[in-house]
Amino acid sequence: FRFKDSLAEHLQSADLVISHAGAGSCLETLEKGKPLIVVINDKLMDNHQLELAKQLHRDGCVLYCNCSTLVETLQSMDLSALKPFPPGQPEKFASFLDKVFGLQ
Amino acid sequence: GGHTTEILRLLSCLSESYSPRHYVLADSDKMSEAKIRSFEQKRAETFSKSQFSLDRIPRSREVRQSWISSVLTTLYSILYSLPLTYKRKPDLILCNGPGTCVPVCLSAFLLGLLRIKRTVIVYVESICRVETLSLSGKILYYFSDYFIVQWPDLKKKYPKSVYLGRIV
Repeated sequence: FRFKDSLAEHLQSADLVISHAGAGSCLETLEKGKPLIVVINDKLMDNHQLELAKQLHRDGCVLYCNCSTLVETLQSMDLSALKPFPPGQPEKFASFLDKVFGLQ
Repeated sequence: GGHTTEILRLLSCLSESYSPRHYVLADSDKMSEAKIRSFEQKRAETFSKSQFSLDRIPRSREVRQSWISSVLTTLYSILYSLPLTYKRKPDLILCNGPGTCVPVCLSAFLLGLLRIKRTVIVYVESICRVETLSLSGKILYYFSDYFIVQWPDLKKKYPKSVYLGRIV
C-alpha cells in the first residue's frame, strides 16, 4: 500500500521491520519493541533525518545499512544483540514546567 | 504529523492548571486536527472541565522554500499572528519546531516588549534533532525563555539550553 493513516496494526504483527530513516517510523517501531533495520539513502547524506538513525545505531537499538548492503545485513544479522529502547519521560517535562510556574 | 505527535506527548502529563489550551495550526495542515481532538476527547474523560480551542494561521514556510520568500511569508504570518496572540494573551506558549511556531512566538515576544502581555515561551526541540538545531530552533534559541533539547550533544553546543533527557 502507498499510504495508511496508521501503521500500528502492521507493526504489532511484524517480526522484523525494515524502514527508511524517518523519525516517526523508527520511533513507532522501537516503541513496539520490534527489531528494526534502517536503510539509509546514500544520496541524501546531508539529510538531518539521519541524525536520529545514527544515534539509535550508536545506542545499539537498530541495525543500519544502505540499499546495496541490505541483503548482506539480513544474512548476517544478530537481532538478539539489539538493545531495548527505553521510552521517553514526559513526566520530567511536566515537573520542569510546574517548577517554572511555581506549581509544585 | 511528527510535530503534533510530539507536542501531544509533551502535554500528556500536564495538570489541569495548563488550561484552556489553544492550539495553533497551519492552514494547510490536514492531519493534526484529528489527532488533537482525539487527545482532548480522551483528556475530557479524566478532567471534565477541560477546555481547548483551535486556530489556524497561514503556513510561514513550506519545506525547502527559498530564503528570501521565506522571510516574506514569515513576516506575513507574524502580522496574521499578532491579533491572535493579542486576543488569547497566553501565559505560556509551548512549541516544538514547526515553522508555524516562529511567527506565533515572535508576535508574543513583541507583545512582551510593548508591555502588553508577558508570555513565557518554552521551546522543545524535536527528538529528531540530535546534533544540529532546526531552523526554528536556531531562531527561537534567542527569543525563548526556556529552550529544551533532548540529546546531550545539543546541550554542549547550546549552553543556554535545558537538557532533561528524552521527554517524548
